[in-house]
Amino acid sequence: MADLSEIAQSLVARDIAKIEELTRAAIDANVPAQEILDEDVVAGMQVVGEQFESGEIFLPELLMAGEAAKVVMNLLKPLLTKQKGVTGSTDKKVAIGTVQGDVHDIGKNIVIMMLEANGWEITNLGVDVSPEEFCAAVKENDFQILGLSALLTGTMPNQRETIEALKAAGLRGKVKVAIGGAMCTQGWADQIGADCYAADAAETVKKFKLLIQ
Amino acid sequence: MKTLTGAERVFKALQLQEPDRVPFHEGPNRKIREEILPGASDDDVVEYFDLDAVGVGERGLPGYRIETLDASHFRNQWGTIVRVTSESLGIPVEGAIKTEKDLDTWHPPDPDEPWRYEKLAELVKRYKGQRAIIAAFQDPFNVANEMRGAAAHYMDFVRNPDLVDRLAGLIRDYHLRLIRNCIEVGAEIINFAGDYATTKWPMLSREHFAKHVIPVLKALVDEAHSGGAYFVKHTDGNIIPIIDMILDTGINGLHPIDPNAGMDLGEVKKKYGHRVCLVGNVDCAYTLTWGTLEEVREDVKRCMRQAARGGGYICQSSNSIHSAVKTENYLEMVKAIRDYGKYPISI
Repeated sequence: MADLSEIAQSLVARDIAKIEELTRAAIDANVPAQEILDEDVVAGMQVVGEQFESGEIFLPELLMAGEAAKVVMNLLKPLLTKQKGVTGSTDKKVAIGTVQGDVHDIGKNIVIMMLEANGWEITNLGVDVSPEEFCAAVKENDFQILGLSALLTGTMPNQRETIEALKAAGLRGKVKVAIGGAMCTQGWADQIGADCYAADAAETVKKFKLLIQ
Repeated sequence: MKTLTGAERVFKALQLQEPDRVPFHEGPNRKIREEILPGASDDDVVEYFDLDAVGVGERGLPGYRIETLDASHFRNQWGTIVRVTSESLGIPVEGAIKTEKDLDTWHPPDPDEPWRYEKLAELVKRYKGQRAIIAAFQDPFNVANEMRGAAAHYMDFVRNPDLVDRLAGLIRDYHLRLIRNCIEVGAEIINFAGDYATTKWPMLSREHFAKHVIPVLKALVDEAHSGGAYFVKHTDGNIIPIIDMILDTGINGLHPIDPNAGMDLGEVKKKYGHRVCLVGNVDCAYTLTWGTLEEVREDVKRCMRQAARGGGYICQSSNSIHSAVKTENYLEMVKAIRDYGKYPISI
């Protein structure tokens, strides 16, 4: 961890008190918010993600790191919005929901946590989201990516139903569709016409970056 | 070997011995049941499929739901709000213990309420000696997940382990009493279900499991054993990093050795088959859901080859006969278990 900044190290150490103190100090010293995000939060969460994927840490530690990242993001958000300009718009907007009939969300929420820590603006559509609700969200917003989470074999077909609903509504071209969930595979993603499948949170971060390039 | 009763068959398997054939006791889901046996009673289903065991699941009892909130939601006995879905047990959406203070005024359910044992007593009266009698519950770790909300409960292991233990203790004590009562009524197998792992890893570190979860499981196993009952544990996910701890509690059976988490039934049998009866593993994520009849037969044959020789195996699905399982695939699985499960296993 020698190359990590103090903020990133505090994030990896899940030291919420210290990370708040350090972030405030950085802001007071006029370090740009985007720089803190890119160099400290993203770097720190990358290490956290790698530790989780390798089995060095587990859900409690990952979620605590997410809480630490949230503290930093809450301090940075108003400054990021200001620094992006009047509209505060971002070209990294994602909506994620668990499909109809399925209310599992811990995996989805871990993905959201990792994406937010990497500067993505996330709208959490919740659970048991119908294809119509997904379509409405896509129609009324400017998401780059729509994420469909399904944990159960029985609810995976609703990922397909949602893609078909987007096509029927003339919205398929407006958004990239990504799928995830324990039973999902690349083969399933290809079969239903999704643009992306990611096996875990870390892969989601990598693949979403490529998806919008 | 003479033909055994279903009960004898199941007990031999749990004793890691070879019965006359591999036991099977996984009945169909509601949809399949109505398709094959419209209007049938529970007894009709048991007899039709000749199930080697019968059981009562606590979460299926009417008294477990204490309040209907609307058409899609109810509150269960733990205070958890559950959403009704196509799966029979529903999915928890909001727990009752949002802060530690909530636990100060929360009371566990009463394990001595007579309604909890009425269905069990009926099964004992009808089937004792013929088919094994199972009483099934939810693992305290998973009850606590629902009561606190999974994310908050996981974080408690780091930020407030005393709360973890306090909550686990209350849930454990309820179940210890429940186990004792069920055995008095006539339950022969105590089954606790709840996931300890995701498809990749256990939810917690070995240290957290060892300190906070395994002692609770061991207390439940000891209670079942002290009453003369067997204990079967269900958990999905890749439990290989903690399987030794789970087995050290003395469980008699382990379900399902999750194939979707990369667990190899044959490898687990080789390494641990002398310690525990393996249960399940016929793939229900793909094979029973979308597979061909041939694929179903081959998967059952695989399970028999990998786990049945020498006994200590009960065949069933790798999770449950969920709502997306095809009727013909379920029926093919049942037939294949009968066709290929006679001892000595010759496939």
